[in-house]
Amino acid sequence: MTSIVTGASAGSALSGRRRRLAERKSLVPLLLFLPPAVLLFTVFVALPMVDAATFSFFKWNGYGPITDFVGFKNYEDVLTHRNFGTAVRNSLIAVAVSLAIQLPLAMWCAIALSERGVSINVMRTIFFLPFMLAEVAAGLIWKFVYDGNYGLLPAIGGAIGVEMPFVLGDRTWVIPAIMLVITWKYFGFHMMIYIAGLQSIPGEVIEAARLDGVKKWQIVRHIQIPMVRSALVISVFFSITGALQLFDLIIPLSNGGPSHSSHTIVTFLYQFGILRMNLGFGGAVSVLLFIACVVVALAYRRILFRVEHN
Amino acid sequence: MKRIALAATLSLAALLPAQAQTVVRHLHITSIPAEVELMNSIAADFMAQNPDIVVELPFLENEAFKAKLTTLLQSADAPDVFHTWGGGVFYEQAKAGFLRPVEDVLSEEAKEAVGSAGISAFTAEDGHLYGVARDVAEVVLWYNKDLFEQAGVDPASMETWDGFLAGVQAFKDAGITPIALGAKDKWPAHFWWSKLVVRLAGQDGFQAAARGEGDGFAGEDFVKAGDYFLELAAMEPWQQGYLAAGYGDASGLFGDGKAAMHLMGDWDYGAMKDNSANKEGIPDESLGILPFPTIEGGKGDPTDTLGGLGGVLFSKNASDAAVRWVEFFNNQENQAKYAKDAYYIPISKGAADVMTNPFKVQIARNIGNAHWHALFFDQALGPNVGGVVNDVSAELAGNSISAEEAAELIKEAVDDSL
Repeated sequence: MTSIVTGASAGSALSGRRRRLAERKSLVPLLLFLPPAVLLFTVFVALPMVDAATFSFFKWNGYGPITDFVGFKNYEDVLTHRNFGTAVRNSLIAVAVSLAIQLPLAMWCAIALSERGVSINVMRTIFFLPFMLAEVAAGLIWKFVYDGNYGLLPAIGGAIGVEMPFVLGDRTWVIPAIMLVITWKYFGFHMMIYIAGLQSIPGEVIEAARLDGVKKWQIVRHIQIPMVRSALVISVFFSITGALQLFDLIIPLSNGGPSHSSHTIVTFLYQFGILRMNLGFGGAVSVLLFIACVVVALAYRRILFRVEHN
Repeated sequence: MKRIALAATLSLAALLPAQAQTVVRHLHITSIPAEVELMNSIAADFMAQNPDIVVELPFLENEAFKAKLTTLLQSADAPDVFHTWGGGVFYEQAKAGFLRPVEDVLSEEAKEAVGSAGISAFTAEDGHLYGVARDVAEVVLWYNKDLFEQAGVDPASMETWDGFLAGVQAFKDAGITPIALGAKDKWPAHFWWSKLVVRLAGQDGFQAAARGEGDGFAGEDFVKAGDYFLELAAMEPWQQGYLAAGYGDASGLFGDGKAAMHLMGDWDYGAMKDNSANKEGIPDESLGILPFPTIEGGKGDPTDTLGGLGGVLFSKNASDAAVRWVEFFNNQENQAKYAKDAYYIPISKGAADVMTNPFKVQIARNIGNAHWHALFFDQALGPNVGGVVNDVSAELAGNSISAEEAAELIKEAVDDSL
């Protein structure tokens, strides 16, 4: 998609003959490279989205043709479902934890580890490792850590003489426990984005500031953070949309339980839409989630735009 | 030229047998390694006798199987033969036209072997037969004799509900976990609700409610079932962390001798060993089966059983070879091998006679004598209502829902699906 836009706008700046030449030149790669991408995008992204939106107006259990039109009933059912509120709340908690705990932690680590050196590289790799782990594997590892009978957590609790609850079976503790795993899993990714940003800051700038007697935290606040702004913009966006789409970690950890208290919007969709074979209901949840993501994306751009202009 | 032609003929001849082979894909959910081996060896025997048929045995884990089957059946990758628990899901599959009727292909011998119960279980509303029954299962109250002795509880005293609660209390007092429960998977919790419903509402009451008649599942007997469940839950009879424990965890806990009772299907005899820490579980002499406590004034017949009547279904692309394979797999001789090793209780006539395992023999007798063999409720009611039943059962076990609300939620789900 982008190649069309850039091709056209670049062309408009050129004179007539050169423009034709440029168009002919850009047409070949266009015809060569665009169709596969568009085809894949259509088949695997656009069409399923249209499908899901269609399902959401029907009562359908996944078998046979779709015939039973029910209007907005699925949406009504979703919004009045006794567990939907919890799922939305948990997704919002995930967003909040990502923004308020994970990103500052990532930034702190990035600043501490942005220099070069062997030991620093080792530390960086260690922090980045959780991100490279498959979500399901990470979920299973933490399930063992939290296991109330044989897990690491109760062992630690036993050593210091505190009786630990079965966190994943406890309605109070399950969400904090999952949030801890999320932070552990993803902060390394954001840290790497920041490190890349920090390393592109010319060394002279910081050196000059240091020579002027600027304090360490002032360098961080007034030079380093402002100069990795573009990295921040990306990482905030990733962590919001990522938190909204949280799924693979939850399934092995708690499977949404106990009593559906740890569902996110997506595990809610899977549980009540797919597993219960209520695909219309699931379609309605996915449309609502899609709208939420689009709103977030647009709002985010808007806010950034405004900040840029001030 | 001649030589080339010869070579071509030869290579064609080499290819031909491969092309003439019919592939039968049988999707199963068997996870115990020795049982899988048995299945493989039966398939090998079959292929030796039928060189033109190749039997493939793809596997999916229980929960994954349930989640994936709907899509799988509508894809080019659909298996020819697949496991089923019958009930609501089977009726949906038949109604949608994903199954192949086999009443004309299946041999009389194979039909006779499964008996009238086996035939009616796999006959859909349209009158066609779509599958072959393989096994019967019953949910029973397994108990550990050593722990009963240790706590001084007489198993005979547990036969009424009040006696049962007194026994649970005695275990609590002795510091022994009375009951193992895998509430994370929810369906183990729904056995408790189901057994209470079987006792309190009985066959007529349950079937009327499933049809949405009268107050349906919000009726008096069902609210009462919730109340009894809550009465038990209030005593905190389950192991610590039961809400985070899956079926395998609970089964292992019972197998390790850390809980006195486990309300579970007869398959737990093997699974309890497999899930235990030493892979041996509770020895036969320490293991026992209790009847589910009877409840005074309950409308159910005391002989009623709860369990399964499982088997395999044929998808619409299944070939005649697939039917041949299932006939072979399900014949008395092969099913007797399953009976002998006590993996399940085969329905195939005569196969269960070789059973020496006393528990399986007793369970087979229970089912044979039952006035009503209720199909697992979460299967019988279909995925949607069944899912709600499982949900509220787990919540009842956790004492986090009222009996009225639980009953109302199930009724709503039934109304929604009618």
